[in-house]
Amino acid sequence: MGAHLARRYGGGADTEPDPLAMPTFPVDLGLPEREPRTMVATAQQLSDGRVPLAQRDFCAHHLLRLMRCRRDAFPSLWQCQHLRHQWDSCEHQDYVMRMKEFERERRLLQRQKRIREREAAVAAE
Amino acid sequence: METALVLNSFMLLTLLILFTPIILPPLLNIQNTPQSIPKTIKTAFLISLIPTIIFLHSEMESITTYWEWQLTQNFKIPIYLKMDLYSMTFFPIALFVTWSILEFSTWYMAWEPFISKFFTFLLIFLIAMLTLPIANNMFLLFIGWEGVGIMSFLLIGWWQGRAEANTAALQAMIYNRIGDICLILSMAWLASTLNSWEIQQTIQPNQTPILPLLGLILAATGKSAQFGLHPWLPGAMEGPTPVSALLHSSTMVVAAIFLLIRTHPILSSNKLALTTCLCLGALSTLFAATCAFTQNDIKKIIAFSTSSQLGLMMVTIGLDLPQLAFLHISTHAFFKAMLFLCSGLIIHGLNGEQDIRKMGCLQKTLPMTTSYLTISNLALMGTPFLAGFYSKDPIIENLNTSYINTWALLLTLLATSFTATYSLRMTLLVQTGHTRSPTITPINENTSSAILPIIRLAFGSIMAGLLISSLILPTKTPPMTMPAITKTAAIIVTILGIILALELSNMTHTLTPPKQNPLMNFSSSLSYFNPLTHRTNPTILLHSGQKIATHLTDMAWYKKMGPEGLANLHLIMSKTLTTLHTGLIKSYLGSFTLTILIMILMTPK
Repeated sequence: MGAHLARRYGGGADTEPDPLAMPTFPVDLGLPEREPRTMVATAQQLSDGRVPLAQRDFCAHHLLRLMRCRRDAFPSLWQCQHLRHQWDSCEHQDYVMRMKEFERERRLLQRQKRIREREAAVAAE
Repeated sequence: METALVLNSFMLLTLLILFTPIILPPLLNIQNTPQSIPKTIKTAFLISLIPTIIFLHSEMESITTYWEWQLTQNFKIPIYLKMDLYSMTFFPIALFVTWSILEFSTWYMAWEPFISKFFTFLLIFLIAMLTLPIANNMFLLFIGWEGVGIMSFLLIGWWQGRAEANTAALQAMIYNRIGDICLILSMAWLASTLNSWEIQQTIQPNQTPILPLLGLILAATGKSAQFGLHPWLPGAMEGPTPVSALLHSSTMVVAAIFLLIRTHPILSSNKLALTTCLCLGALSTLFAATCAFTQNDIKKIIAFSTSSQLGLMMVTIGLDLPQLAFLHISTHAFFKAMLFLCSGLIIHGLNGEQDIRKMGCLQKTLPMTTSYLTISNLALMGTPFLAGFYSKDPIIENLNTSYINTWALLLTLLATSFTATYSLRMTLLVQTGHTRSPTITPINENTSSAILPIIRLAFGSIMAGLLISSLILPTKTPPMTMPAITKTAAIIVTILGIILALELSNMTHTLTPPKQNPLMNFSSSLSYFNPLTHRTNPTILLHSGQKIATHLTDMAWYKKMGPEGLANLHLIMSKTLTTLHTGLIKSYLGSFTLTILIMILMTPK
């Protein structure tokens, strides 16, 4: 929130990425060995487990394991704490990855802006 | 298959048990006793735990249709019950809180001659309230909605001999009615556009128009005493303390938030509606917290505290987190009911005194009650690992980490700080310092029917948050990662509020109070909202009505269109003609002669 406010009012708003319109650059720009992310849990497994739609993400396989453990260990749900930690940890890593993508997008926009300014300066000469 | 059958059967059994004190006495020609209804609710609570445990284990939701009312060929209204997370969790909580409050009422209202009637009213209210979460269509929800409104009116005005109680009941009814009309408008839109009142069928892939959603939000504004339709909630404290504890803190006022939780799929499709909820909630929570600063009636402080927490729930709806709003409803029910019961015990012990300036040093005379009052205040502030922490802290964390309106965020943080301030002010004035109450008062906390319910609610205020949040998996992933300052923002603003309260308390011992303070006047007059709206609007309307009713007919038909109108017309004509007459006869004769000569000359021969 602080970074967002500072960039909005303190400068840098023109190179602020729009989260709803990402990515605007090719995903393998500068990262040739990059492969697309794949979900571990299949759609059928998620549907059978009745996982809420908002939670069918890249960490859903951990959630499925957690739900199964909770069903089997009921009522002693504390036995599934290690699986809850794994799910939370996966969500944290997913968040870090998304923030890194956001930062990559910002740096690419800044690079694009520098290239355009350099070209404009050369054209003006 | 069997799980669903067992679930439905036990839920129906719970509801049936609640109906027995109403149906059986006229059939069997017996009378209800003050003990029978609390025992009935206790039984219903214990039975409701069975389907809740089954649901938490199997996570199997169930929708059951019992009977269908065919209005037209295409429009049917079934008795449609939904057993999902919200209804399964709310049932035992509402029954537990009601059981505790009714057991407390056997002591608090022991001198009341119509105590059985009072308990029957509370039971009817409870049945209407439980209809709300279990309803799967708007019709059944509306029945519950109106039921709680009617019982609120009857219970606030329980002491009919008091003019203030009658006024407060009428005020509550009128403010709620504004919201009810908006709810009816939304239901009319749903029926005409989607041809259904079932909540599942209202979910559509396109954005829902703002009009029905505004109707739902306004209905919630009325029922939950959000800013604009809020004056009825402090006024409702004219009713007995058990009524305030049950209706105006734990159950009825959260019905509106429940409506928004049930309809959140259509609400979340419209960003404007969510922003409206967010801003309205933020304004309500800060306004109510500001008003609570300068109140001296202990029940009014708790009422404004309730209003502030309802604003926080509205903020959570605005963040599109219905499950978190429901968690806050659940934890809030425990510590708010306990706050009211403790205040009731104090009021009774001081022979009806409600002014906190005339209390003091009660932790020596009522050690248990004041301890539980402190626990509930700490839970309200969001002290780590009490019930309020598990709902309030995630709300503040989500607020801080979301991409939203900074104004709403600042208002909510300020309100969180003020919550700590007015809670500590109440604690300091009631529990500490010198005794300011008369020495001969019937103070005692030896009655088990008064203390045991408070102990049960204290257990809930400590454990409920941990239990509910560990039993239920979140439907939306909570924010995992944030800077330390964001994570600790809630506790930091709470500590700042506590420091503010301690500083102000120290200052009051040393400084002389100013004669007039505009800020304090603003807060203690509740921002002049009541006189401005309660006098201006009715005055304008009644004056206009009087003019239309008495003057318009006479003015129009007998004066303007009749003799006076004709006379006025003549007057205008004669005045105009009079000015034309200048009295110059020679000029008139000359002009006549000239005209005749010209006519003669121009006539062809």
